[in-house]
Amino acid sequence: MARHIHVVKVHHLTLSFPTRKNPNPKPVLDDVDFGIRDGEILGLIGNSGSGKTMTSLAIAGLLPDGAHITEGSIKFQGEDLLTMNPKARRKMLGSDIGMIFQEPSTALDPLMKVGKNLDEVLVAHGIKDPKQRRESILKMMTTVGFTNPEEIYERYPHQLSGGQRQRVLIAGAALLAPKLLICDEPTSSLDTVTTVQILDLLKDLCRKLHMTILFISHDLSAVRNFCDRVMVMKDGKIVDKDTTSDILTNPKNAYTAELLTNAKLDPRMLGIERAHVDYSSSPVLTAKGITAGYRDSRFGKGSENKVLKGVDLEIYPHEILGLIGSSGCGKTTLIRSLLGLLPHEGTATVLGKRTGAVFQDPVSCLNPAHTVKWHLNEALRVYEKKLTKEERMAKIIAALEEAGLNEDFLLRKPYQLSGGQRQRVAIAMCLIMNPGLIIADEPFSSLDASSSAEILKLLTDINRERGTSFLLVTHNIHIIRQIAPRVVVMHDGKICESGLTNEVLNNPKDPATVKLLNAETKLHGA
Amino acid sequence: MNLNKNSVSTRAKRFYIVGLILLSVVVIAFLASLFWTPYDPYTTDAASKLLPPSAAHPFGTDNFGRDVLSRVMCAAKFTVFISVSGVAIALILGTVTGLPAGYFGGFTDRSIMLVNNSIMCFPGILLALVAVAVFGASMFNVVWALGLVFAPTYARVYRSGTLEIKEYDYITHARVMGIRPIRIMILHILPNLVPQLLPATVIGLANMTLFESGMSYLGLGVQPPDASFGKMLAESQAYIRVAPWLVVFPSLMLVFYILGLYFVSEGMRVSFTKGGGS
Repeated sequence: MARHIHVVKVHHLTLSFPTRKNPNPKPVLDDVDFGIRDGEILGLIGNSGSGKTMTSLAIAGLLPDGAHITEGSIKFQGEDLLTMNPKARRKMLGSDIGMIFQEPSTALDPLMKVGKNLDEVLVAHGIKDPKQRRESILKMMTTVGFTNPEEIYERYPHQLSGGQRQRVLIAGAALLAPKLLICDEPTSSLDTVTTVQILDLLKDLCRKLHMTILFISHDLSAVRNFCDRVMVMKDGKIVDKDTTSDILTNPKNAYTAELLTNAKLDPRMLGIERAHVDYSSSPVLTAKGITAGYRDSRFGKGSENKVLKGVDLEIYPHEILGLIGSSGCGKTTLIRSLLGLLPHEGTATVLGKRTGAVFQDPVSCLNPAHTVKWHLNEALRVYEKKLTKEERMAKIIAALEEAGLNEDFLLRKPYQLSGGQRQRVAIAMCLIMNPGLIIADEPFSSLDASSSAEILKLLTDINRERGTSFLLVTHNIHIIRQIAPRVVVMHDGKICESGLTNEVLNNPKDPATVKLLNAETKLHGA
Repeated sequence: MNLNKNSVSTRAKRFYIVGLILLSVVVIAFLASLFWTPYDPYTTDAASKLLPPSAAHPFGTDNFGRDVLSRVMCAAKFTVFISVSGVAIALILGTVTGLPAGYFGGFTDRSIMLVNNSIMCFPGILLALVAVAVFGASMFNVVWALGLVFAPTYARVYRSGTLEIKEYDYITHARVMGIRPIRIMILHILPNLVPQLLPATVIGLANMTLFESGMSYLGLGVQPPDASFGKMLAESQAYIRVAPWLVVFPSLMLVFYILGLYFVSEGMRVSFTKGGGS
């Protein structure tokens, strides 16, 4: 076969979702035209809804029902994918084009052992000898960085961490040594340390197996040390295309520059001001000796698996306290204990006012069966039962406006809102209860850069104007550095370091903190 | 790519249309019978017994000279009433047992499901027959017995749905806000179960009708002179050779009702599940 400069050449691709009512809707992909060069790592960046995923699905031939390609062609090593017959195309999937998805927790069959999951790939592509299959799987698992491949082979997916699962998926995709590997946000559900490891692994594989990678992400800074070239997408169009260093240091396009600013979360650019914290006043939340765990309960016996080991925590009025730590260190368990959702030892006292909560996933944070108005009303009626209808509406609208939405949203249902808007509704639900403390568990991690920047600004405004304290849990040390005056680092169920953010992050003493910071530097630059 | 979204909704629409046409035959008969029947369904007339279908008696007459059309309309009334109220009872029992079982889990779950599973251990029709035999054959006892027998099925639907939904953040959030469990179950969880429950309910109506017909056929359901489709079939059995119309019309109505319900529930299943299956 002749060698092509471009592994994939997407030629003026236009794609839309026509319906009977609206036969000519606004295209989802509008005249997308690019090539992926042999052996390169090409980044595809853009906010949610910009068409990144549709582009990758079109290349892989996995477009959802109803998608209609009106114009253009996709050529894979000179062959037109769109005119190919389905059987030949399916054969190409896996062996020529591999794909890794965002959510490693749902991409593996929970009923199959890891080895069996990988075995399926080889069986499907016609390798008959079981011994040979097992050997190549074990070899590939070593390649993706498992030191104990035999053991992992026999495990079930739920016995692996998120990072390990993503490694297994990468192994599965790399088994057939595809020429093109499409990675759709492979790291956005992983913590910083793991993200860096996975990116290193992908880069390594790219070199060893001579693969070409199309890397999709909403995080501009994640591509810094990873991609050779970067494309920026907006509203179904490619607005900018350049080498990574040019894009990151010297963006020529206004939109790219905006994305970059948002990704940096520079407090001056966003107009974020810190509130003044008075550490002499009595704390809003005092937690002493919080210990919690899961009992491996079979008939009440079995060892108790302690996730939290005596955590002490104080949050002062007007303060934003940052809580960082790698996955599995017990952050989420701590929050659930503080919110009273888990049985725990030790005491957590909240002073005076109520506690609000904002969760990570904007998809599941709102009840799909109800409107925005219902949600706010429900939050309101918990504490204020004796209001007239007019007073209620006034409060609901006030909260909605404070969260940056308006009356038009009252009767919408969650599926009619974007991720950022949903997160705003969740915040409005907290505001309407007039809480003294809001516990926010990774409120940014599922949002794109622009939405995170807006939500970040909203949180700091609430903090400054209302004096509400925040406990902010996040993977993103950068955010902590910008807005949290004090930080707490957790490791293995204990608080290993705490103090003023500048001191802790500039002069870390605990090895766990050092590890986190190194990963951060590697990912986002100094 | 070639399959577009329209095909799913078209398929669903086809199921709905056929199902609703079939159902409407029975429902119209039922509604009309509340106000008007061509003849009194209970008045016997020895002079006109076992008459074949004619202009005066479109469905013919039975062995007591009663007009079959009138009796079919009357039977539609009882059949629809029994199936709807039986399912209503089963749904209510299923809600009060299944929701807490799924939501609270642990001991509550185990004790509730123990009772439910014990009921499910026995063949449903047998249990209903025993109940009716003990408490006496009457329509209300049939409704109660069938409702009780069907309840565990719904409880299971509720329980499994609740188990899934209670893990979502919006339920956790509701708990954090301090909303009482009962309110969470009814207002936060229940509306999200509707897509699973509606098809189950409609299928339940069909199964309930089959059970009722079976029991009436055995003489334990609707009591004479009232009629239900099963009862009419049982009564006409002896005359199947001389007066086949006695069997044909009630059977047709039964088939329309059950098939209609199955089609509607299939339509619901197709339109609720994204992608539709094949």
